[in-house]
Amino acid sequence: MQQRSVFIGAGLAGLVLVAACGGAPTSGSGSNANDAAGAKVYAEVNPLTGTARHDKLVELAKKEGNTLSLYTSLNADVADVVTPAFTKATGIQVKVYRADSETILQRVLQESSARFAGSDIVETNATEMAVIADKGLTGDYQSEQRKKVNPEFQYTGWTPTRFNIFAPAWNTKRVKGDLIPKTWEDLADPKYDGLVSLEVGDSDWYMTLYDYFRKQGKSDAEIDKMFTDMVKGSKVAKGHSGQVELLSAGEFGVVAASYSYLTAKARTSGAPVDDQPFVQPVVARANGGGVMKSAQHPATAMLFMDWYLSDGQKLILDNGLTPAIMPDGSDPLGGLKVLPVDVKQLLAEGDEWSKRYDTLLQGGEKAPDAN
Amino acid sequence: MVSTAPPPVDPGRTTRPRPGISTEDLRAPSRLATLWTALARPRTLVGVATAIVIGYLALVPLFYLLWGAFSDETGFSVDGFARAYGDPRIGSLIGNSALFAIGSAGLAMVVGTGLAYFNVRTDVPFKGLFFAASIIPLIIPGILYTIAWIFLASPQIGLINAVLEPVFGPGTFNVFSIWGMIWVEGLHMSPIVFLFMVAAFRSTDPSLEESALMSGASRVQTFVRVTLPLVRPALVAAGLIMIVRALESFEVPALLGLQNGTYVFTSRIYQVIKSYPTDFPVAGALACGLLLVAALGIFISNRVGRNGSGTISGKGFRPRPMDLGRWKPVVGVGILLYFALTVVAPLVVLLYTSLLPYYQRPSGEAFRSMSLENYTKVFDQPLVLNALKNSLVLGVAAATIVMAITAVAAWVVVRSGLPGRQLLDHVAFAPLAIPGLVLGLGIAFVYLRSPLPIYGTLLILLIGYCTRYLPYGMRYAVSGIHTISTELEESAEVSGASWWSVFRRVLIPLLAPALLAGWVYIFVVSFRELSSSILLYSPGHEVLSILIFELYANARFTELSALGVVMVLVLVVLVTFAYRVGARVGLRSD
Repeated sequence: MQQRSVFIGAGLAGLVLVAACGGAPTSGSGSNANDAAGAKVYAEVNPLTGTARHDKLVELAKKEGNTLSLYTSLNADVADVVTPAFTKATGIQVKVYRADSETILQRVLQESSARFAGSDIVETNATEMAVIADKGLTGDYQSEQRKKVNPEFQYTGWTPTRFNIFAPAWNTKRVKGDLIPKTWEDLADPKYDGLVSLEVGDSDWYMTLYDYFRKQGKSDAEIDKMFTDMVKGSKVAKGHSGQVELLSAGEFGVVAASYSYLTAKARTSGAPVDDQPFVQPVVARANGGGVMKSAQHPATAMLFMDWYLSDGQKLILDNGLTPAIMPDGSDPLGGLKVLPVDVKQLLAEGDEWSKRYDTLLQGGEKAPDAN
Repeated sequence: MVSTAPPPVDPGRTTRPRPGISTEDLRAPSRLATLWTALARPRTLVGVATAIVIGYLALVPLFYLLWGAFSDETGFSVDGFARAYGDPRIGSLIGNSALFAIGSAGLAMVVGTGLAYFNVRTDVPFKGLFFAASIIPLIIPGILYTIAWIFLASPQIGLINAVLEPVFGPGTFNVFSIWGMIWVEGLHMSPIVFLFMVAAFRSTDPSLEESALMSGASRVQTFVRVTLPLVRPALVAAGLIMIVRALESFEVPALLGLQNGTYVFTSRIYQVIKSYPTDFPVAGALACGLLLVAALGIFISNRVGRNGSGTISGKGFRPRPMDLGRWKPVVGVGILLYFALTVVAPLVVLLYTSLLPYYQRPSGEAFRSMSLENYTKVFDQPLVLNALKNSLVLGVAAATIVMAITAVAAWVVVRSGLPGRQLLDHVAFAPLAIPGLVLGLGIAFVYLRSPLPIYGTLLILLIGYCTRYLPYGMRYAVSGIHTISTELEESAEVSGASWWSVFRRVLIPLLAPALLAGWVYIFVVSFRELSSSILLYSPGHEVLSILIFELYANARFTELSALGVVMVLVLVVLVTFAYRVGARVGLRSD
């Protein structure tokens, strides 16, 4: 009995230790070789166009096994339409990992530090894509479609695939006629006290608007006053989707910077919300994708990007999002005055703006109670 | 004629030299051999093995957190602490967090203990329904529960306020206040206390209360001066979990506190983690603050537990419910009213919302637009059945593994006398104070570098869940052991039972109510675990909480309500079933 327990105990401890120790952190199964292989494919295919390119990619994808690993923060209901469509068009199976953009970033960074090739292609918000590209994790992707994207949104290392537009949205039962906001400055008016909701993490919107007003010739003091007035009597909320939900329910009268696709979705399901005509200039932030340098299926990744930027864009449009390239090749932001979120500035100064926005929000007065 | 044959010798006992063996072979065993024999006893080995497993599970993310907290690009540094605690707003952060934590813990304790007492120790009517209703707030995902309360008690759109308006004027209740936060969080967490106290009250000897009653004490006096002290270990353990959980709580402060400018610890930790570049030193520094509170709590909890005497002792007893007599209808109605307000109301709001295309106040138009469309949409999702299956498997596995490990670990901490056993308790509690994302990152870090096929499978989620829920299991098991006096095990040992026999046939059955409570809690709550799951899962291994998150993030709130209703139905049935099964083990009651 005693001897048996000794063996059991030793066996358990041994198992635990084996699980704990792995290879050394820098070892990996030929991931350096992967990087080189990926880069070779990208370099080889980038100059090709049209049918030649497509055929080459299909051929290479077949050799790679006709499978793709996609990390994306695309909404579930849209992804559930997009990826099956790609499979139908090409016969390639897509394994989709979906999460919010910050989690995707953490996962990609964690995996790359362990030289684990988990993803072939990553598609998420501009800020996170910029970080990933900055760290040199994405491969060089060039194509005819990429050139059609709005010139203000051409980025190194990743390509926009859809746009997030921030614009005020209002509840049509509580906000009518003269109360409907026409400009951003309108929101600072005292008539909106108790009606407006601001989102706690929108420091990129804050930064972009601030710069816009500076360019308009306003002084910093004037801009600060305007924002303070906007915050006065406003209700801070967490999460854009929750905000739209509460806007539909009438808890808020106006959401200062709502995602236009969320507003559109609520409106389509019958909720009394609207954001048209847009308050201009709209603030726009791209979401985009990058093929990974360490991808196990680099050609498949390129094939997906090509498809996503052409046929895929129509699906994006049909499902209520704003594509990067309209199906007829035109610019979806054409006809609108657009303020792009400066991603480089966000990376460099994001922390400082985040703190300033924080302070601004916490200085806001309590929303007037009905009591 | 007397037989001269030598008496039969038991081969195991060499009291006389047998032929062929010299006396020298019978010299006293060496010191090393004694030590070896002492160490190789099953109790020690099991204790050490459990300690290794727990240590491994809990220390991996803890080291990852501490490594992040105490280092930056240049190496060791405490800058994170300076930045975290030097912030001028830290005072109000701590103040708000403390008020919120103590308030909601207090409410949960009162509600949970009261309900448990009535359910177990009195003959209140509708016990089965009562039990299910007490658990329901635990099952509803935090986001849904909080939003349901917004729809009930918001000064702007709240239904309760609308009903009361003719009498009390507009906005009687304001859920967007610290009191609103305390109310919602306290109610949401009361099932945890309920489960603890049910286990505790089931194990109390009623003869002490009976003697008090017979000596002339009123029922209330008996409750306060006899019953409560008897269950003190469970009370303290429950209180500790409540406070740390409230300090860690995220949804309630986020949805209800921001409007009011009430920022708490977790808002700050979340903010820090979600921004880029992630300031891990600050996040780690803040989490260390939580760890300190937790360590202090464990210390106090164990002191109190040790001083209390076990109520399950060698004297036999049968727990018998107290007759409420003429108070029965009053108590019955009081409890029904309580449930109507705190459980039924939010559920009805969810049910109502799940039938609408979008949330709107009750009106003719609203009722005309009702349909079951959201339910079909939920089940139409390609992943939902797989996610439900995965969640069930993980829930059952995690709950079972954790309770098995902590049963042994609790024995180690309370009974074994092994050196360093208190440390085991502290280590097992650590994961509670580690933010979910950091926990996930720590686990991912280890298994990305391990040759075993764990990363990218369901196993890594299982490891994450076991780590996450270890502290809860430990608290349930430890407080359970504290209520059992040592006499029973000692008499078993004296009668010749081996350690394993004593453990399996005496201790476990007596511990069963506590273990069952822990099992149920972990099973139910694992369905809602998101922050580690979303980092660690891989395609094909989705769990239900990921779906909940996706529905919420895409503002598909009505479908989310439908999913919530389905979850409640399924889990209530499963939990009631588990309790029916569990009630067969251990102490029987009339």
